[in-house]
Amino acid sequence: MAEAIQKKLKVEVEKYTQMQKDVSKSVSARQKLETQLAENNIVKEELDLLDTKNTVYKLIGPVLVKQDLDEAKATVTKRLEYINGEIQRYETLLKDLENKSDQHRELLSGLQQEFQKAQGMAVGKV
Amino acid sequence: MAEKGKMSNEHLGGVARLREEQEKVVKDCESRIQHWKKLSGDYEALNDRLKTLPDQLSYDITVPFGPLAFMPGKLVHTNEVTALLGDNWFAKCSTKQAQKIVDHRMKYVKSEMDDLSKTMKNFEARVGLTKDLENISSGKGDYIDIREDSRNIEAAVTKGRKRIEELWARLDELEKLEQQQDDQDRLSDNADMNGDMNGEESSSSEEEKEADAAPPVNGQSVKPSWTPAPHSKKPPCKDSIAEEDDEEEEGHGLPTILFSHTMEPKKVRINTGKNTMLKFSERKEQHSKKKKKNGLNNGHHELHKITTPVDIYRLFVDVKNGEPIPRKSILKSRSRENSVCSDTSESSAADFDERRMIGRSFSHDDTTHSDTSDGLTEEDSPTAVPLHPTSRFEAFSGTVVEKDPMPTAVPHLTLAPPALPTIMERKQEEVVSEVAPPQEAPKRVSKFKAARLQQK
Repeated sequence: MAEAIQKKLKVEVEKYTQMQKDVSKSVSARQKLETQLAENNIVKEELDLLDTKNTVYKLIGPVLVKQDLDEAKATVTKRLEYINGEIQRYETLLKDLENKSDQHRELLSGLQQEFQKAQGMAVGKV
Repeated sequence: MAEKGKMSNEHLGGVARLREEQEKVVKDCESRIQHWKKLSGDYEALNDRLKTLPDQLSYDITVPFGPLAFMPGKLVHTNEVTALLGDNWFAKCSTKQAQKIVDHRMKYVKSEMDDLSKTMKNFEARVGLTKDLENISSGKGDYIDIREDSRNIEAAVTKGRKRIEELWARLDELEKLEQQQDDQDRLSDNADMNGDMNGEESSSSEEEKEADAAPPVNGQSVKPSWTPAPHSKKPPCKDSIAEEDDEEEEGHGLPTILFSHTMEPKKVRINTGKNTMLKFSERKEQHSKKKKKNGLNNGHHELHKITTPVDIYRLFVDVKNGEPIPRKSILKSRSRENSVCSDTSESSAADFDERRMIGRSFSHDDTTHSDTSDGLTEEDSPTAVPLHPTSRFEAFSGTVVEKDPMPTAVPHLTLAPPALPTIMERKQEEVVSEVAPPQEAPKRVSKFKAARLQQK
């Protein structure tokens, strides 16, 4: 009886750790997106400050590719929007993961209690 | 205290951890601020460079080739700068424009630094608070945690309850004894009308003085409810018990006996109606009551325990010239004048010892006589009575005028109660009147009926 519970407990613990990892991953991804968002905002501002006489380059790998200012501005804007969307997606994902992990945590605690009881009974019997 | 210590230890651990965490945050803030400061320094340097760069058309420089080699070269187009805007975007611009970009970045860096410094300050304050909390919980410093121990109160409550229960048990016992004594006295009444012996015997036989209470009660002619002997036993019993332990205030009419709740020597104050408060001499009272401990729980010191008025007479004796001389009742002629005063209370009270059984005998006589002249004319109706009893001290004359007790009682209610000598009576009266006025009539009747029948 105690052993079965123990096995169950192990399985549940593994699941829970996995979930926790997912959560942390999504959290870090979201953080990255946040920084990108900030950067792109700055770029946008800078681009607005520039006039057309300045040439804008984009670094693709080792190559600096000339870009049109307007194009650059448009690209940056798009990128910004994309980043925002990504952030929201990650947020929802994170919420779901957190809920799941909470449920799992409760389950784990219940199992632990059972396990302890069983252990106590086993000790008593012995 | 162990629990408290344990709790404080846990608490202390928690507080310490909190403090550590807060300090961590503070350190983190510090490091970030350092980072930003560095950045701002770099930007400052860059700014300077950008300012000076366009001064010359070209510069001779030693150009680094890889990590180890250098080559002499020239720096041209000093005003053209390719600036990184962020996210792999570059822009070619003049130094002035580059400077603007740098300025922007500098602003951003400054704002970040300000935020960080703010958070750092907050957390430093928190750290200080947690440090203080640590000190409080550990008991160091000037902070003291005040906790009340609620256990003592509970103990006192349980003690009180126990005592009360014991008292009730004792009360029941005494009532039973009274009943027994009642029967005995009824039989012995006719034979022994000489109060002293009877009273003494009864007093010595029992802790509770039913018999003793009865004669003084009977001696009191003022109030009808006081007169019947048998019934006075019960109330004095209860009364004496109550006297010892409970708070009892009897306010029947004018004379009142006030007993205070005693954990210590009591003082019995007797309000004798005419704005005179009589006090038992405190010396003797304390003397007697020191020996008498709280209530029924303690061993019975028969000599010193006051449970009925008779005990008072026994205790409050005159100066002992080799032997304790019991005081004379105030009904006696010598103490008559002082009956109202406080000083002679004991003497007059003591006199009652002799008169106890007599009192019972002439209880009816008193009622009858007081009807006519004695009670009404004199304030101290008992004082009038002695005129008769002195002559009839020895025996019951047998001239019993049997009357319905209630009608005779009525006129006496208006009489001013006598002073001291009737302390015990009064006490008994009031208790008796509370308890069993109706019963008195039949019993009294029966007693004198018996006497009359005997005569017949």
